[in-house]
Amino acid sequence: MNLSTRMVVVLTSIGLLSASFLAAVGLLTKERIALNKQREIDEAIIQVVPGTRSSQKLYEEKDLSVYGGKDEEGALIGFAIHASGVGFQDKITFMLGTNISLTRISSLTILDQKETPGLGAKITDRESFLLYWENKDCSSTISLRKPAVSSPDELSPTEINTITGATISSEAVLNTVNSSLEQVRRLIKEGKLISEEQDAD
Amino acid sequence: MPTKSIGEEFVKGLWDENPIFRQLLGLCPTLAVTNAVINGFAMGMATSFVLILSSLMVSSIKKLIPTQVRIASYIVIIATFVTVADRFMAAFFPPISKSLGPYVPLIVVNCIILGRQEAFSSKNTVGRSLIDALGMSSGFVLALLILSSIREILGAGTFFGYQVMGPWFKPWIIMILPPGAFITLGILIAIALQIERKTKSRG
Repeated sequence: MNLSTRMVVVLTSIGLLSASFLAAVGLLTKERIALNKQREIDEAIIQVVPGTRSSQKLYEEKDLSVYGGKDEEGALIGFAIHASGVGFQDKITFMLGTNISLTRISSLTILDQKETPGLGAKITDRESFLLYWENKDCSSTISLRKPAVSSPDELSPTEINTITGATISSEAVLNTVNSSLEQVRRLIKEGKLISEEQDAD
Repeated sequence: MPTKSIGEEFVKGLWDENPIFRQLLGLCPTLAVTNAVINGFAMGMATSFVLILSSLMVSSIKKLIPTQVRIASYIVIIATFVTVADRFMAAFFPPISKSLGPYVPLIVVNCIILGRQEAFSSKNTVGRSLIDALGMSSGFVLALLILSSIREILGAGTFFGYQVMGPWFKPWIIMILPPGAFITLGILIAIALQIERKTKSRG
């Protein structure tokens, strides 16, 4: 075999072997990775809509999904808004829990972020950020309190706290929350937030 | 090449030829992921997995690969194992996979791995290559652990996520940011060189 044929044969066979090996690994792990993602979402819904026993996806588009949290009897008790928006480094994805009338935020949890460790990454931290999101009035636009305060009691019901040194990350979350609330309100108005069961009726 | 005993082949990766402190290879992931011990450890493990398997693979098929396409072949082999490591972590350790982010796929271009294939596995037997890969991996993990421990303790007051510093301690945020990585690594390399110089002058 001359050299160039040998080069082609060797590289092609290495490529083919590794491709088939990877296809097998991909098949074996695909289900589990999807399951992990789903589990993460389910856990987040239960966390942000207190009292949820089951949940249902009501709406989905790029960067915004709405889930309905239901109690034991299957009555809707709140919405869980799964949204992503531009952060300081990369997209920030969160789950926001509200009541059915979209006037009160029960809590917020961050699912995915790549903010600066030690500064912007504190948006995932309960004490420094998420605590200030609990039980907020979201009937009007929420605003940012700057400079930061040290206790949730010092904030007005429509204010959230800034992380010192990470205003951009705090603002990024706030802006995405405000715009996704706006969007969900519009969806409700247009009657697009319909669960599948109601569809069948 | 002077022949080394199996033990020496392993130990050289820990100190004499430590990939980070002595060869200064693979510094990008080293600087990037050592902001917490758990990340440093996971990165070390993933890199070790790729290095060991790639060395085994390369040393066992080295005779079949024409020299002209060896680098391309090594990269395909390395990339395969990196993808396996990445998928595996995403499936079984989702939180760690999340915090390492893009650095797992980037193991492909980690110079330690390609460097060992080129410098060692392509010229030595499977057994020796395995020992070499194990030694280099241990050296890499060790260096990442030292670096990430210093950075996490000073930068966050925690070790493996547990609080180790008292409430009086104000975390040096810079230590978990990129400058902290450069400062810590620079000091560690200086210390390593100093120790080397001392032992040499004595010996």
